[in-house]
Amino acid sequence: MKQLVSAPMLFVGAGIFLIVGLLLAFLYAPIDASTMGYSQKIFFYHAPIAETALVAFGVAFVAAILYLRSQDPKWDRLGVVCVRLGLLFSALVMATGMIWGKAAWGTWWDWEPRLTTFLLVCFLYVAYFVLRSVVEEEERRATFAAVFAIIAFIDVPITFFATRFLPAGMHPTVITTSGTGMPGSMFVSFFISMIGMTLLLVALIRRDLGVEELKDRVADLKNSIGG
Amino acid sequence: MTIEEGAKFVAAAYAIILAVLVLYYFLSARRVNALTRDVTLLEQEVRRRRGEAGGE
Repeated sequence: MKQLVSAPMLFVGAGIFLIVGLLLAFLYAPIDASTMGYSQKIFFYHAPIAETALVAFGVAFVAAILYLRSQDPKWDRLGVVCVRLGLLFSALVMATGMIWGKAAWGTWWDWEPRLTTFLLVCFLYVAYFVLRSVVEEEERRATFAAVFAIIAFIDVPITFFATRFLPAGMHPTVITTSGTGMPGSMFVSFFISMIGMTLLLVALIRRDLGVEELKDRVADLKNSIGG
Repeated sequence: MTIEEGAKFVAAAYAIILAVLVLYYFLSARRVNALTRDVTLLEQEVRRRRGEAGGE
């Protein structure tokens, strides 16, 4: 369990990739030629954080299916951890997105498809924790949460593809089937930040899983001594 | 928008990201330490009670 909790190499690896990605974003990638100008530098962490949040919700979706198939509590723990981290990353996406929106579009918020569907994702996964808090019995709570996580995930691909299928919004589509839509130096900076953010997510999942296991162990020990 | 104006927004965005991620990292590390200590103390208590029960 100790090894599961620490996972220090993943944090070190994530830190190295994120620092290198940031340095490349500011020192190697050119200033965006469009109206966004220098504020486009926000993209190099904003987009990887957004992708990572959606990946976390994706893992929670898979964990929910595995829980319903096996009733093994480890999948419920993985689901809780991934939804919590997905929400953390989503909050960062919303905050940095609003700052970027104010700089690039002159407004903090716009009800365009990508932003609206992403906000809906956030509300859905907040509701996941509300649901968990109102069901006391452990197995029922895990089952309801798993079903809810599967339903909530429906909005994740809608959010991802919103800019592709509903192009009326202001949010740009950067990566398409025909290319990345950005110079090579920008893509390298973005890609390295993406690797760093994904490693950070994996490291945090491993650590938080350790926290959940420790919480269960404390509960078991308290039960065994009648406390 | 000038580079100086853009830089203020960029600095704000990266400051928020770094502050939140670093804070979460240290809070979860603190949580691990606290729970590990609880487990150790509770395991000692369980062993002590088992020892008492065995001695009776």
